[in-house]
Amino acid sequence: MRISNSAKWVLGVITGVVLLFIYLPLLVVLANSFNANKNMVWPPPALTTDWWGKAFRSLGLWEAVATSIEVAVASTLIALVLGTLVAMALSRYKFFGRQVVSLLVVLPIALPGIVTGIALNNAFRTILGLQLTMGTVIVAHATFCVVTVYNNVMARLSRMNPNLQDASADLGAGLWTTFRLVTFPQLRSALFAGGLLAFGLSFDEIIVTTFTAGNGVVTLPIWIYNNMFRPGQAPVVNVVAVVLVLSSMIPIYFAQRVSAVQDA
Amino acid sequence: MRSDTTPAIQLVGLQKNFGSTVAVDNLDLEIRQGEFFSMLGPSGSGKTTVLRLIAGFETVSAGQVFLDGQDVTKSAPFDRDVNTVFQDYALFPHMNVIENVAYGLRVRGVGKAERLAAANEALATVQLSALATRKPSELSGGQRQRVALARAIVVRPKVLLLDEPLGALDLKLREQMQIELKDLQRKLGITFIFVTHDQEEALTLSDRVAVFNNGRIEQLGTPRQLYEEPASAFVAGFVGTSNIFATTEAKALVGATSAVSIRPERLQLTKTASVDAGAMSLPGRVTEVIYLGAAARVIVSCQGIPITVLYQFEAGPTPERDSEVFVTLRQADLVSLGN
Repeated sequence: MRISNSAKWVLGVITGVVLLFIYLPLLVVLANSFNANKNMVWPPPALTTDWWGKAFRSLGLWEAVATSIEVAVASTLIALVLGTLVAMALSRYKFFGRQVVSLLVVLPIALPGIVTGIALNNAFRTILGLQLTMGTVIVAHATFCVVTVYNNVMARLSRMNPNLQDASADLGAGLWTTFRLVTFPQLRSALFAGGLLAFGLSFDEIIVTTFTAGNGVVTLPIWIYNNMFRPGQAPVVNVVAVVLVLSSMIPIYFAQRVSAVQDA
Repeated sequence: MRSDTTPAIQLVGLQKNFGSTVAVDNLDLEIRQGEFFSMLGPSGSGKTTVLRLIAGFETVSAGQVFLDGQDVTKSAPFDRDVNTVFQDYALFPHMNVIENVAYGLRVRGVGKAERLAAANEALATVQLSALATRKPSELSGGQRQRVALARAIVVRPKVLLLDEPLGALDLKLREQMQIELKDLQRKLGITFIFVTHDQEEALTLSDRVAVFNNGRIEQLGTPRQLYEEPASAFVAGFVGTSNIFATTEAKALVGATSAVSIRPERLQLTKTASVDAGAMSLPGRVTEVIYLGAAARVIVSCQGIPITVLYQFEAGPTPERDSEVFVTLRQADLVSLGN
């Protein structure tokens, strides 16, 4: 497409402004993590690495990180298994109510977190009579993590040649062997992408977590929220934010590489 | 139990309905050991469904499937000693050629060295040894076709099912693969069941052909029987080209009491009416001459009914459009199609 020089110039400026709007606050956070003033006066009167040291020595922070990873890994694993099963069932069999099931599986990602949170809180405590624990958080997160896996696997299955599974059975492979040697290898990158998204969704979830976490179950987002307004803790939160920004680049890098391999 | 008289495949009262559509209608069929058997018919005639019922990809609505005398009606595809070559080849895209070919042996628990040796041998049979480490996406259509064949024959099935395997190839390649298929079948001595909508392909390759129409077999016979003695107007029209005359036309033209057909090459163009016993000549006017190279297709209008004649050039000068001619035929060449 050819566009005029002035249009190029205008579009360039708009793009620059948008990117600046997204990334300037992140840079401020980075700068503030070294701000010697604990009230984060701008511009920083002096620089210090005290907050970084303090963050790494904070036991509560590390526990929160571990809790978050545990929750995210567990709910992602549940989502991978259930999402794949649902997608395979819905793509292979035509039955009455298929569309409804599909809608119900996808719905949790569109529901406001506050609704999911209250609903699950009620269900866990009053109907099932359960204590809120880390387990309840994992189950709660799995409800919306399933969606990303389901969507990815569904898209892949719809592009997959259905004869491949017939061919495998024809050559003597049972159902499990066919899944292991033919279907799963075809799904691998879709599962990776879906799992990555699921992990990300769970890792930064705060609303549903608040309603479903038991006493003493503190995930990283909750820890950050609790410490944000505590005196003297705000700079430590900045350090955590910077680390999170850096570490979220890793999965994005991998996700882009996976899709680049598929396009090639 | 098994002997050479036991059919390789026996279908008894086979029925398959998809909703209210009848795809296969109460079909009885026996396919002999070592036979090259073709199922010929237009798309939607039920031939591919029969193949999928034999392979076990579809479950029967009624009836039975016997493989080598054994009832396999309820068996899963992986429990049936038949293998399929798919129309779209269905090669596993994440495996290279040799892994694809060895797959059937791998899932049967054959050791790696042994299965690779067998796969290499199968690849050699289809002359593809040089491409063993390629991925299917790096192969041409004809090469994929050969890999699919090798993958199916490596497990030594009793019966090989081929679902329009040459449909996606261009003409030259198709003719070459036809010869190789026939060759391969002779070498392996296993039963081939070949589904096609290409009547020429079916006639060239097969020992016997079943012509399908609307989920039923219209006629079953050798290629020669189908060609020379078509049992119905459908077969006469589908197998080769025919002049087919409905009852009223047949009555007006040749005085027959039922519908008849006659092949264009059995008709001759003459300047005068034949006086030979058993011959008859129909006066007409040439309306079209189509040059075919070795011959010409001449359309003659007799009593307003178009008749196609395959005209060999040695028989005299090419007839011209609008010239008056006689279409001469031997009555013995007329095939009655019943009513």
